[in-house]
Amino acid sequence: MKRKSNDTGRARKALHAVREFARFLASEMKPKGKIWTPFNVISGTIIVVGIALIAIRFYLGLGAVTNLSQEYPWGIWIGFDVITGVAFAGGAYVLTFVVHIMKFEKYEPIVRVTVLNGFLAYVFYAGALLLDLGRPWNVVNPIIGNAFGLSSVLFLVAWHFLLYMICEFIEFSPAVAEWLNWEKARRVVAKMTTGAVIFGITLSTLHQSGLGALFLLAPAKIHPLWYSVYIPVLFFVSSIFAGLSMVIIESTFTHKVFHDKIGKTLRANHDEILLGLAKGCIGALFAYLFLKVIELVHGGHWDLLATPMGYWYLVEIVGFVALPIFLFGTAIRKRSVRLVQFTSFFTALGVILNRLNVSVIAFKWYAPVRYYPSWIEIWVTLTVICMELWVFRWVVNRMPVFTEHPEAAKVEEEIIPVAEVVRWKYSGS
Amino acid sequence: MSVNRRDFLKLAGVTGCSLLAGAPRRSEAAMTSIEFYGMLIDTTKCIGCRSCEEACNEQNGLPKPEVSFSSESVFETKRDTSPGAFTVLNRFSNGKNPDNPVFVRRQCLHCCQPACASACLTRAMQKTVEGPVIYNKDRCMGCRYCMIACPFDIPKFEYSSPLPYIRKCIFCYDRLKAGERPACVEACPEGASIFGTRRELLEIARTRIYENPDRYVHRIYGEHEVGGTGTMYLSAVPFEELGFRNDVGTTPYPEHTTGFLYGVPLVFVLWPSILIGLSYLAENGNKERNHEEEE
Amino acid sequence: MEVFRFVDIYATKGIEYLIVIGFLAAFVFFTRYLALRGGESGTGRRAAESVEWFRVPGEFHYHQGHGWVKAGGEGVARVGLDDFAQKLVGRVDSIELPPAGSKLAQGEKGWVLRVGSRAIPMLSPLDGEVVAVNEDAVRSPEIVNEDPFGKGWLLKVRPERLAANRTNLLTGRLARRWTEEALHGLRLTMGGNLGPLYQDGGTTLPVHQNGGAAVTGIARALYGEGWETKVKEQFFTEGMG
Repeated sequence: MKRKSNDTGRARKALHAVREFARFLASEMKPKGKIWTPFNVISGTIIVVGIALIAIRFYLGLGAVTNLSQEYPWGIWIGFDVITGVAFAGGAYVLTFVVHIMKFEKYEPIVRVTVLNGFLAYVFYAGALLLDLGRPWNVVNPIIGNAFGLSSVLFLVAWHFLLYMICEFIEFSPAVAEWLNWEKARRVVAKMTTGAVIFGITLSTLHQSGLGALFLLAPAKIHPLWYSVYIPVLFFVSSIFAGLSMVIIESTFTHKVFHDKIGKTLRANHDEILLGLAKGCIGALFAYLFLKVIELVHGGHWDLLATPMGYWYLVEIVGFVALPIFLFGTAIRKRSVRLVQFTSFFTALGVILNRLNVSVIAFKWYAPVRYYPSWIEIWVTLTVICMELWVFRWVVNRMPVFTEHPEAAKVEEEIIPVAEVVRWKYSGS
Repeated sequence: MSVNRRDFLKLAGVTGCSLLAGAPRRSEAAMTSIEFYGMLIDTTKCIGCRSCEEACNEQNGLPKPEVSFSSESVFETKRDTSPGAFTVLNRFSNGKNPDNPVFVRRQCLHCCQPACASACLTRAMQKTVEGPVIYNKDRCMGCRYCMIACPFDIPKFEYSSPLPYIRKCIFCYDRLKAGERPACVEACPEGASIFGTRRELLEIARTRIYENPDRYVHRIYGEHEVGGTGTMYLSAVPFEELGFRNDVGTTPYPEHTTGFLYGVPLVFVLWPSILIGLSYLAENGNKERNHEEEE
Repeated sequence: MEVFRFVDIYATKGIEYLIVIGFLAAFVFFTRYLALRGGESGTGRRAAESVEWFRVPGEFHYHQGHGWVKAGGEGVARVGLDDFAQKLVGRVDSIELPPAGSKLAQGEKGWVLRVGSRAIPMLSPLDGEVVAVNEDAVRSPEIVNEDPFGKGWLLKVRPERLAANRTNLLTGRLARRWTEEALHGLRLTMGGNLGPLYQDGGTTLPVHQNGGAAVTGIARALYGEGWETKVKEQFFTEGMG
């Protein structure tokens, strides 16, 4: 008799727990703050129309909504969303390297938000890839299917995206556990951080360079100034400063928008952190510039510099690699945070330019009819970006992203300077 | 070093899946004794009757075109293969002999080491041991990487369909398995397209050039291009004048990515080792630095 | 070169990836194995309960004189000396403990350690009345060196003002920080690195198990003659008999 009531009691408790959790999630779904802000209206419109466009894309096929053709199979959904978007997510692996491997505690306050951004970037931009696939339901084939195209760089990239998203989620999950107040889970995932970081950096190295290696299979189609065997290395190095620039840009926005969420440590150190990131950017840009020069000399195509595409190449190198080096240098010397922020926008533009050049602009540059994106392609890209921003905002408003773990924060405030500890009272002769 | 249990489970899961997924097809590579079949297209013999196009259309169940196959009006513009036409004829003017235009058939060249098969991440594009590069439509995700990779821009995508496939010539692989020749070769009245093993075809082609040195340009297109193709051409005029690309090189396309792919396992082994080492050094360095700072 | 048969230059890729997976799995075990042997706590916010060579367990409350208090059941607390103290002093020859019934005052003399002819008093970490004395420690003082937090406890005390006393006691992360400072103070005396002393194979300093962390008599090794004065400075009992 007693045992029966115990069982139903346990079942009832479990059901109750599930119901409570569902109620908690439902309440968390409600928007916080004002609904009818200009940002919400604009991005909301974009998203709603975008979803309709995506539905049309699936109903009518790619030809109806994009300007893709037999000549240009890849457009901005690949060239911008995937290839550029993933480069911008590179801040996550750089910063986790700096903080968790090299133990530079100075950057610890921004690791969480960068990892969050990286995770969302992969989910949404690699997710945008699904929109571009002709038969997206078959995307499981290279994952669990019976046919691994092991010779394909794209196979490697696809697998790495998947594994890396898992790594990023593990790295970010302490914040999720803190939000849900699951202390034991939090401790478990916190211990996995270093392993996830090491795996994540390894994966990142390979798939950032892998995105470049995709284009190694098109030597006759990409302009000689942009095609070389060094493309993978160049993509990897540019992902470093692309990621760091994006971290600077993102912090510029979030410090204005989420001002009340920023923790004490981060607020105090913000300028120092930005200057440090600028130093990282300038180092990577410097290496990148010299790699580009080596690539140019190795390719032996400097006679092409006098052509229209050659001028465009020089614009990219001089205007968007050399110039940011100079600007960052000035900013660091003058300790000007404004200039750092401006230059990172500029550097980000340069990364977009380079990636679009390799994938779309310098691709089949000889074709009489060139590709340009349709308005639907652009709109859907904006939709993806807006959706990511909404999810980002949702997470930041609920989970401890800009602050430390609450217990650790308490300890921070409790730490008594050592001198005071010594000055304890003791009576004694 | 802290717990990496989750990582291990993840790795174990991946290992299990990949083992379940089946071992790579090494057996085919190393031990096959079957030689590639191919096609030799002698453009000096082609009269532009388009029987090959018609036969291909029927064999593959393709939609009937608006203009009939006996019409010559199609030659007024340069055509490319499409999802509905796996082989197309184009007419080029003949510099040597202006009254005799050259007709050139364009279709998949079934490369010995195909770029598309190397690019395909689900093995939808697959090089068979018999030679043809076939397409497994059930595996295809529509990523179109094969289109980027193919140096000859052959694979075509069904952009107009919500359930699109890639379409190209598959060398009538089913007929081949049944011991028959491809439909286009069967249909050619002049014997401009002939079928055989690649070795035989090269010998035939070289013999023709040797016996009629004035009739042909001394080059077999597809002999060395991209490491060799299954479908090869003979021509009376330089190939550039017939719309053939001269800049595809002789390196087999899969070898363009060997540099990168061969390095992948190295990174997987070296990076974690180096990072652990750095992490350990950094932690000890921090301890030293903390004590120094507080002096 | 003429190609007439199927050639797959990526034939071994599958095996290579499997080997990589095997390596990563072995790598995980390898690093865990190393960590267990080396005794290094590794990374992460929650550090192990030690500071380099000294154990600073979390459940104890420490007094600046290097005594500890641990609340027990039934309103009785245990008192002892910490790992830093026992390592600093080295092998204790005898301990003079106050008898049951005597009163203790926090910050005043609690008990005396004897090493040879030298007497080193230590401060009591709390106010209260002694209800029991650890006879084993009196009989065999070496257990204080071997297990200062467990079997080497010194006194059982009924605390009088434990809450108030607690304000002068450190625990957890702060205690570890304080121990680091004490160690740093020792290092300053040596002008830098204490490390080589302990790696020494064993000419002057016998090394315990435990990963080579423990040494008997740090003070004796450091200061030579007059070392007990330095120790009393660390224990805040200079000038006491």
